[in-house]
Amino acid sequence: MTVLHDLVRHHDSGSQDGMLATHQAVMRTNAWHVPRLDQQTGRSCTVLPRVFSNRTGGMFVTGLLAAAGAFFAWQALTLDIGGIASPGPGFVPLLLGAFIILSAALIGINCCRSGEHEAVELGHRDVLVTITALLGVPLIFERLGAYISLALFATAILVLIGRISLLRAIPAAILGLAACWWFFHLLLGVQLPVGPW
Amino acid sequence: MAGFEHLIGGFAVALSWKGLLYCFLGCLWGTVVGVLPGLGPLAGMTLLLPLTFGLDPTIGIIMLTGIFYGAMYGGSTTSILVRIPGEAASVVTCIDGYEMARKGRAGPALMIAALGSFVGGTVSIIGLMFIAPPLAKVMIAIGPSVQVVLMLLALGVITAVCAGSRLKTATMIALGLALSTVGLDKLTGVPRMTLGSPELTGGLSFTALAIGLFGLSEILINLEKTETIKAIQPKLKDLVPRWIDLRESAPAIGRASIIGFIFGIIPGVSHVVSTFVSYAVEKRLSKHPEEFGKGAIAGVAGPETANNAVTGTAMIPLLALGIPSIPATAILISALTIHGVQPGPLLLTDHPEVFWGLVASMYIGNVILLILNLPLVGIFVNLLRIPYAWLIPMILIVSIIGVYSVNFSNTDIWIMMISGVVGYVLRKFGYEMAPLLLALVLGDRLEENFRLALTMSGGSYAVFADRISVTVLMSVLCLLLALQALAWTVGYRKSVVDETGTS
Repeated sequence: MTVLHDLVRHHDSGSQDGMLATHQAVMRTNAWHVPRLDQQTGRSCTVLPRVFSNRTGGMFVTGLLAAAGAFFAWQALTLDIGGIASPGPGFVPLLLGAFIILSAALIGINCCRSGEHEAVELGHRDVLVTITALLGVPLIFERLGAYISLALFATAILVLIGRISLLRAIPAAILGLAACWWFFHLLLGVQLPVGPW
Repeated sequence: MAGFEHLIGGFAVALSWKGLLYCFLGCLWGTVVGVLPGLGPLAGMTLLLPLTFGLDPTIGIIMLTGIFYGAMYGGSTTSILVRIPGEAASVVTCIDGYEMARKGRAGPALMIAALGSFVGGTVSIIGLMFIAPPLAKVMIAIGPSVQVVLMLLALGVITAVCAGSRLKTATMIALGLALSTVGLDKLTGVPRMTLGSPELTGGLSFTALAIGLFGLSEILINLEKTETIKAIQPKLKDLVPRWIDLRESAPAIGRASIIGFIFGIIPGVSHVVSTFVSYAVEKRLSKHPEEFGKGAIAGVAGPETANNAVTGTAMIPLLALGIPSIPATAILISALTIHGVQPGPLLLTDHPEVFWGLVASMYIGNVILLILNLPLVGIFVNLLRIPYAWLIPMILIVSIIGVYSVNFSNTDIWIMMISGVVGYVLRKFGYEMAPLLLALVLGDRLEENFRLALTMSGGSYAVFADRISVTVLMSVLCLLLALQALAWTVGYRKSVVDETGTS
């Protein structure tokens, strides 16, 4: 409650000091749904990045690992396992899958026992922008051609993360891609997709 | 005599214009990634791995190795001038290096670090030259069962010595081994874990996975850091150390060369362990231990020499046994395999030009780095002023093109993206990527040798406990335990706790 009280009081003051104090108060709360300040600009930004406790996040990650282990074990069971004396192609993957499930379960138990005090931040704005831009690349890489799709990617990163104007980002991206074309296409002879044109 | 002739042949390759150019480029890029906080030798190597595909295997390996030891050199610059270790092996250098810089003695600290790196690197190359060939001859004589034992031992040691939870490290090793089973089974030709996709029958692209798990995840983690960096700028004329600096550093450099060389054999974290051991030894032997932490030059000379002395030793298991002891050498194995060169005991007989060309290039690379690092230190420090976001598009574009150009497959780009995001999340929750990568590289051969050994022995597991296997296992195990005990005796763990606040 004291922290929330500090938060309201400092936010209402409106000064730069007040804003920074607000940010510090927010950091102390480790709360999810409270607006935060951008560390670089000092401006208020969205609820990102989100803070996960080591317990919650850790459990999620062990769940993913267990699922991966289950996948390997399930796929191995569709193959010839062979015997202990003469292992088939499914033998090693089955062992490994079972081991991953078991160790993930043990890590999960450790996570449950651990306290909530350790936190992990996920979903930083720049990280999310980069991941989104990256995921867009394979979608258009062969359709639009390598150089156009990578130029679009570079422009997006320079504008959204480098925070430079579009007018400067476009020539910079074109220049960079021209250098890549010279190096990969002319020097190394790598043939990349050119797209429909 | 034959070795000497091979070395001359190696120098002929390394001193060719291509050899010199790519060695220089490797050293330059290595220094850059070493200087830039967050981008270590591993990310530097994985990101440029695809560029070596169009090159001759020897030249490609020369370039990648140049990145490895170049990063060791470059890491000291940021440790001394900014108090930010460029990579893990430079953490200890921060302690006394930055204190020296604060007292206006950044120049001598950088100079001694460079000289120590040069001496350490050279000593380890000489060791590599003499130890690897006879070791390879021994390895040719041993069968698949001993190879399985050695590989399991390497993975076991990594689990024991890696930072963080051992259970998490073991899980990462199992995951790496499991991922290596994707694709056609080498012994029966049956497709495994492919979900019917023809694009996965060749297995998961190592390049895509390595760049994703290391390069991309490291970039994503670095994007979260928003601190501005203020560096101390030394002047060129201040680089010359005083006579007393040289006198105090010389014994430290000598001792650290031996420490780095010996500890380089520990799989997993040898370059980091050796720096802490060297620091602890220097502090213990010093007449003025109270000066350590306040700018003692031996505290810079020792760790910087040790982390470079490791580079040569780390090459011994790679070149003689075909087993990567640290992640950086796993990248080299992958590069060699892509070029159709099988690393291991037969490398010296089948491709002597690769081995001796690499040895010769390491001598030359050390000289290049000495010339490159001292006069150009101002330029490297200015690199820290470039906003990270401006570097990202270029690094990622090179990675994407590189990954695509291995198999000309869009699937590989997807694998890189997905493994990058997965690696980022796993690292945030304390999972190490290095054991996964090492297991991924070893997995294929481990399974093949395991099943071959069982087939040859008629299904008897006693083959893994025969006289030769047990002798090899026990010898290596005793050596590793002795080294570990030595590290603890000289206060490695205490140093880690004292200086970094971590256990």
